[in-house]
Amino acid sequence: MEWKTQFTPEEVAELLERGVGFGVLDVRNEEEFRRWRLEGPNTPQTLHIPYFEALEDEEAFVSRVEAELGRGPILAICAKGGSSDWIAQEILRPRGFQVANMIGGMEAWGSSYRIRLLPESKQDTVRIWQLDRFGRGCLHYVVASEGEAILIDPPRHIERVLELLSREGLQIRAILDTHAHADHISGGPALAERTGAPYYLHPYDGIHPIDVLPAQIPFAFLQEGMRFSVGSAALDVLHIPGHTLGNTAFLLQGQKRYLFTGDSLFIQSVARPDLGGRGEAWAPLHFRSLRRLLHLPADTIVLPGHYASAAREQRADGLFAAPLGELLRSNPDLALQEEEAFVSYILAHLPEFPPQYVDIKRVNAGLLRLDEEGLNELELGKNVCALSGAYTTS
Amino acid sequence: MGEIVVARELDVRGLQCPMPLVNAHRAIKQIAVGEVLKVLATDRGSLLDFKGWAETDDSVELLQQEEYTDEQGRRVYVHYLRRVEP
Repeated sequence: MEWKTQFTPEEVAELLERGVGFGVLDVRNEEEFRRWRLEGPNTPQTLHIPYFEALEDEEAFVSRVEAELGRGPILAICAKGGSSDWIAQEILRPRGFQVANMIGGMEAWGSSYRIRLLPESKQDTVRIWQLDRFGRGCLHYVVASEGEAILIDPPRHIERVLELLSREGLQIRAILDTHAHADHISGGPALAERTGAPYYLHPYDGIHPIDVLPAQIPFAFLQEGMRFSVGSAALDVLHIPGHTLGNTAFLLQGQKRYLFTGDSLFIQSVARPDLGGRGEAWAPLHFRSLRRLLHLPADTIVLPGHYASAAREQRADGLFAAPLGELLRSNPDLALQEEEAFVSYILAHLPEFPPQYVDIKRVNAGLLRLDEEGLNELELGKNVCALSGAYTTS
Repeated sequence: MGEIVVARELDVRGLQCPMPLVNAHRAIKQIAVGEVLKVLATDRGSLLDFKGWAETDDSVELLQQEEYTDEQGRRVYVHYLRRVEP
């Protein structure tokens, strides 16, 4: 294929999905590189050399690139797209390297989406779009029937959601967050303000768990047993405390049955119970909530809020979805069927607590206000909402 | 830390990465060994980049980094770099 001089993050994600071969030259500083990197269903060979090393000794820089990645095709990336573009233009392309820059760098990589219609829902009375924020492993949903839509866990980049709604001619009935997110900033309150549709959150999650302060955003109370209608379909609310105290899942009854699990059950893992600072108290609740979900019919299609590894969790058609019955067999974190064993396993396998998660919850609760740059910085990196299972091998 | 005597000041406010560092790299070659270059940048990424640069380039020592808000309301990141004998 023709190697361009610039690719958007969406184009890069598509190249990775198609398995197009190229090497990655990451020119960020050490600290940023260690924090996270470009990954995908086919993660390419990556060479890391900070751009400032090219200033010191251009020829040594060029030889290392050639030795590791050849003369191309190479994708150069950095934090915001400026330094990698400079390296491509000033250093590598003049020497005949086939090198492209990723526009906007890792910041844009973490704020880009691929939107896919769930094929199972094509023949149904209800259609479901999965918005895949691939750089961070966050999943968001639009559920639509007869011109009406319900948004589930909408992301901060609300324009992407509004574009989809206007393209499909959909009116928002309700905006739901499965829980108060710790890893990313919710688009719920902003969408409610923009469109006038009500924003729902479980009241237990309207209190910041660390600060123990009430949220300063308007929201309507989400509760067990509530039913939302959307066109000819209905969405039932299940209160499943564990990851948070006000954690919920939504069961959608179309011709098929779909379960939006948010941060409870993932394809290859389960959610961690400690991000509210009370892992020991919440892990048993989490166990009982998961058991409750697992008693739903085996053909229920699970649509999770996150993934950790696209290579291991993504289907061939690009979607992150699986029938509940299959997860019972294949999800390693569901193997322990006794509460005590599950709780001690989960508490012994907690990944590191990302310090910025406390502030992200503050932003989501309206207790902290930041400008765009501050929000971008808080959201850098992949989500770490799952238990270790999906992480140990990736 | 006592008062730092600055031999040269480089104002790269408003410039995006990589230009603050590219210009600083050029400027530090123009001062004598032992002298200090002060760089004013508005690119927040410069904090980690200048730190990384000083770690990999043994002719540069990063003495100090500080922040303030300038008269135009921009957040400014200040870097003090000493040219040293490699």
